[in-house]
Amino acid sequence: MDEILDGTTQIDCDILIIGGGTAGPMAALKAKRKNPKANVILLDKANVKRSGAISMGMDGLNNSVIPGYATPEQYTKEITIANDGIVDQKAVYRYAEECYGIIQELDEFGIRFQKDQNGEYDVKKVHHIGTYVLPMPNGDTVKKALYRQLRKARINIINRYMATRLLTGEGRIAGAICVNTRTAEFLVVRAKAVVMSLGAAGRLGLPASGYLYGTYENASNSGEGYSMAYHAGAGLANLECFQINPLIKDYNGPACAYVAGPLGGYTSNAQGERFIECDYWSGQMMQEFYDELQGGKGPVYLKLNHLAEETVAEIERVLHIVERPTRGHFHRGRNTDYRKDMIEMHISEIGFCSGHSASGVFVDERARTTIDGLYAAGDMANVPHNYMLGAFTNGAFAGLDAVDFIKDVDFADFDMGDVDAERTRVLAPTKRDDGIPPNQIEYKTRRFVNDYLQPPKVTAKMELAQRRFEEVRHDMETEMYVRDSHELMRSLEASAIMDCADMAAAASLYRTESRWGLYHNRVEYERDDENWFCHTILTKGDDGKPAHAKKAVDDYIVEIDEDEKDAYNNQRVTSTVAAE
Amino acid sequence: MNALFEDFDEIAELAEGLDDASPGTRIMAVMELANSADPAAIAHLARAISDADAGVRKQAALALTAFDGPETAAALVSALTDSDPAVIEAAALSLTELKDPEAGDAILPHLGDTDTVKLTACFAGIKELRRTEAMGAAITALKHEDAGVRIGAVGVIGWLQDEGSLPALRDAAKDVDTNVRRTALAALGFSKSEHAEATLIAALNDPEWLVREAAAETLAKVGGAKCVTALRIALEDEFWQVRLKAVRSLGKMNAVEAALEIAPMMDLLIPNLRKECAAVLGEMAAPETRPYLEKYVDDTDPDVRKNVRWALGKIDAQ
Amino acid sequence: MPLAQTSTIVPVVIDDALCIADKGCTVCVDVCPLDVLRIVEGPDGSPVTAHMKYDECWYCMPCEADCPTGAVTVNLPFLLK
Ligand SMILES: Cc1cc2nc3c(=O)[nH]c(=O)nc-3n(C[C@H](O)[C@H](O)[C@H](O)COP(=O)(O)OP(=O)(O)OC[C@H]3O[C@@H](n4cnc5c(N)ncnc54)[C@H](O)[C@@H]3O)c2cc1C
Ligand code: SF4
Ligand code: SF4
Repeated sequence: MDEILDGTTQIDCDILIIGGGTAGPMAALKAKRKNPKANVILLDKANVKRSGAISMGMDGLNNSVIPGYATPEQYTKEITIANDGIVDQKAVYRYAEECYGIIQELDEFGIRFQKDQNGEYDVKKVHHIGTYVLPMPNGDTVKKALYRQLRKARINIINRYMATRLLTGEGRIAGAICVNTRTAEFLVVRAKAVVMSLGAAGRLGLPASGYLYGTYENASNSGEGYSMAYHAGAGLANLECFQINPLIKDYNGPACAYVAGPLGGYTSNAQGERFIECDYWSGQMMQEFYDELQGGKGPVYLKLNHLAEETVAEIERVLHIVERPTRGHFHRGRNTDYRKDMIEMHISEIGFCSGHSASGVFVDERARTTIDGLYAAGDMANVPHNYMLGAFTNGAFAGLDAVDFIKDVDFADFDMGDVDAERTRVLAPTKRDDGIPPNQIEYKTRRFVNDYLQPPKVTAKMELAQRRFEEVRHDMETEMYVRDSHELMRSLEASAIMDCADMAAAASLYRTESRWGLYHNRVEYERDDENWFCHTILTKGDDGKPAHAKKAVDDYIVEIDEDEKDAYNNQRVTSTVAAE
Repeated sequence: MNALFEDFDEIAELAEGLDDASPGTRIMAVMELANSADPAAIAHLARAISDADAGVRKQAALALTAFDGPETAAALVSALTDSDPAVIEAAALSLTELKDPEAGDAILPHLGDTDTVKLTACFAGIKELRRTEAMGAAITALKHEDAGVRIGAVGVIGWLQDEGSLPALRDAAKDVDTNVRRTALAALGFSKSEHAEATLIAALNDPEWLVREAAAETLAKVGGAKCVTALRIALEDEFWQVRLKAVRSLGKMNAVEAALEIAPMMDLLIPNLRKECAAVLGEMAAPETRPYLEKYVDDTDPDVRKNVRWALGKIDAQ
Repeated sequence: MPLAQTSTIVPVVIDDALCIADKGCTVCVDVCPLDVLRIVEGPDGSPVTAHMKYDECWYCMPCEADCPTGAVTVNLPFLLK
C-alpha cells in the first residue's frame, strides 16, 4: 500500500456526491429515492462508514425547529439577528420549515433522539424564548444508521478517493477529478450534477498545541471543497466571517456548554462568574470571550463544580461517550474532576465553517451554487449556523434538486487538457527526489494564518500575510516533495489549505468594516451598514487571484423590527440557539 | 486498480466464513454480513450468535443492530442468557435499537422470565415498540425485586400512555428506589387526570430531591389549579434545583398568582435560580413584580441582567 | 534523498496478541478518517498486525470502537494531552 501507481480511470454517473459525512449521505439517499433509476455515486476521501464531523456521533441537535417548541419565523429571526442581518432568509426559512420532517426520517433510520418517559421528543429549554436543543442519548449510532441506509438503498460508494478539482464545460458542471489516497491513481468522474459536501476547512489556523491534527473539526476536512469551488469559478460568500470556537484548551474539542446548560453548567471567568451576554455561539460571543481574557479576568472556564453530584455524573455520562469520546481521557490525564475543578477553555484557531458561522460557497434555498448543476451543502455552504441538522436538511435539498436538474441535461463537454493539467499539478511532488515535505509547508502556512489573520484583524498584518503566503506557495509549487501516495494526499491538502489562507486574507481585506463580533473585528474600522450591509462574494479573478463583489442581501421574508435589533445589541436576550 | 466501489457480495458466500475453524475468520464473516445490510444475513447471524467462541457471539450480537424484525429479536433474546457477560451486554444494546413493532413478537413471551438481566433487556427492547400486550407483564414486574427491572417496566408503561395504568404508576411513585420513583413521576406526564395530579403533588414531599425535582417538572404538563398551589409550596424547597423546576413549571402554566412569591427569590444568591425567576417573571409580566426586578437591572450576572431587562420590557408592553 | 530521521511517539497502540489482522481483518485501517493506520506484513507479504504508520491522529476513536477484538487503544497525542 501507499506506493505511487500510474493510471487514470474514467467513469460516468448522473449525480456525483463528493463527501460522505453528514450532508452527502442524505443527498444520496434523497436523490436515489426520488429517482431510483438515477446512477448516484457517493465518493469520500475517508471511509463513509466513519467519516466526517459525526464519525463518532453527536450528542444532540443544536437547531431543531420542532412544532410546539419553536416556529420557523422565530428561528429565522434569531438566525438573522445573530448574523448581524447578513442572511438570505429564504434558505434559513426553508430549512426551519422542513427540518422536522428530516428529524422524523432520521428517527426512522434508527437514529435516536431523546424522548421523555412518554416517548415524546424531549426538547431542552436553553432559554425562555425559543427551544431548539434536542439531545441524542445514543448519538453514537448516527453514522452506523446512516451507513446502513446507504447500503440498503444500494448507493454506489467509493472510499479513499480524494476529489481535487471540479470539471466544467458548456458553462455548467461536468464532473470531478479525484485521486486515490493509497495508490495515487486518478479517477475522472463525468457527472450531470455534482453535490459538494466536503465539510469545513478545519485545518486553516494552527491549534495552540502545535499538533497539526489537533483541530476542532474532523482533521480530514482540510478545505478542498472551498478550493475546488474557487478554481471552478463558483462564488464564495462572506469568507471573512471566520469560524472561531470557545473550546477546551489544548484538547480543542467542544466544551458542550449547551449539554451542561440545561443542567445548570455555564461558562465563567476566573472568579466563577458568568460574563457572556450572548447565548448564541456567535462572533459577538467570541468577542466577549476575547475581551474577558484581554481584560485580565481570565482564564475562562466551563463551570460545573457548583452542581450536585447526581447532575455532574449525568453530564459526564453524556460528554464522555459521544462526539469526542477521548475527552474523558484528557480530563483524567490532567486530573480534572468536574466536581472540584473548573474546565479551562480558550479561543480556537480560525477556520471556515457555516455550521458555526455564516461563510461558505454561495447557495440559494435549493442548495444551488452559482454554477449550473453544482450544489453545495453542509459546513461548506453558506447557509448560516447549519450544524448537523442543517447539513442533513440542505443535503436533502441538494439531492432532490439535482434529480430535477439531470432530467433535461446530458454530460457537459469538458477540456481533456484540464485533466492533464491537474495530473501534472498533482503529481509534481512525486517527480522530485528531494524537497520540502507537505507537513512543513502546511505548518508554515497555518502558523502564518495564526500570526497574521487571527482576529482582531489589522490591515498591515493581513497584507504581510499575503506576502508570506505567496512565498510559501512558491516553495510549495517548486519544492514540495512526497515519498508515497499518503504523503501525496497531504500535499494536496496543503495546497487546499494554502488556497483557503489566501481567500481568508483577501476576503478580510475587502470588507472594510467590522462585523460579526470577533469573527471580523477589523480594528481600524467600525461597523458600516451604509456600505457593507451586503454579502461579499469572492470568485477567482482573471488574473488567477481572488476577485470580489458585493451582493445585496435578499429582502427579508420575516421582518426584524428596529427595537428587536436594539434588544439584541443592548441586552441580547433574543438569541437562544445553542452553541457547538 | 483496486475495486472502485464498495461491493455487494453474495450473502451465501459471506456466510461460508462462519464455518471456518478460526474464530478470527468467523468474526470477519460476521462483520461482512452486517455490512451487507441485506436481511438474508439475519439467519446466518442468528446461527453465529451461538458460536463456540464468545468473541464471535459478541460480534454477532452487535452485528444484528443492522437489522430489525422478529427473527433478529429472537436471536438477540436467545443471547441474553449467554455464559459471557460481554455477549449479553451487546445483545441488550442491540435490542434497544429495534424499531419494527413486529419484532416485539419475539420479546413478548419473555416478559415473565425470571432472569433479571434478561428481563431488564426485554423491557428496554419492547418499550419503544409500544406493544400494548406488554402492559400486563410490565405492571406485574413493578413488584420485581430488582430496581432495574422495575425502572424498565415503568418505561414500558409510560410509553403506552394508557390511563388504565395510572394506579400502577401511582404505586411505582411510592417505590423504595429513588430512580423508580423519578421515572414513574415523569411517566405520568401524559395524563391530565386528577389521579396523576394527586400522585405528583404527593411526591413534592418525597425525601429525595431528585424525586421532588421530577415531580415539580412534570406538574407543568398535567396542569390544574391544585398543581399551582402545590408548586407554590415547592418554591420553598430546600434544594434550589427543585425550586428552579417549580418556578419554571409555574411559568409554563402562566400561574400569575405566584408572581409575588417568585419575585423575592431574585434576592437569593443562586445564579441559575435567579436567571430562571427573571425569565418567568417576564413571561408572567405582572406589574406588581416590577420593583423586585428593577433592583437587578444592572446585576453583575449578565444572564440575570438581560432576563431582568427583558422582563421589564414585557411588563411595560402590557 | 537526504531526509532526516526524526523520532516521534504515536498515540495509537495495538495489542499484537489480540489483533486478528492475520485473519484478514483491516477494520481499524478502514475506518480511520485520517488514514494513518496500516497492516504490518510478514516477510512473505502476509498480514501480521495493525500499527500506526503516520503520526497524524485526530484522537477520534473509531479504530478503538470498531476493533472486533479490543486490540486498539487510543491515547492522546503528547503535544496536547
Ligand atoms: C466536534 C464537533 C462537535 C459538534 N457537535 C455538534 C452537535 O452537538 N450538534 C450539532 O447539531 N452539530 C454539531 N457539530 C456540527 C456538525 O457536526 C456539522 O455541522 C455537520 O456534521 C457537517 O456536515 P458536513 O456534511 O458538512 O461535513 P462532514 O460530515 O464533516 O463531512 C465531510 C466529508 O467530506 C469528506 N471529504 C473531505 N475532503 C474531501 C475530498 N477532498 N474528497 C472527498 N471527500 C472529502 C470527509 O471525509 C467527510 O466525510 C459538531 C461538529 C464537530 C466537529
Ligand atoms: S481492527 Fe483490531 S483486529 Fe482488526 S486489524 Fe485492527 S487492531 Fe487488528
Ligand atoms: S483515533 Fe481516529 S485518527 Fe487516530 S488512528 Fe484512530 S481512527 Fe485514526
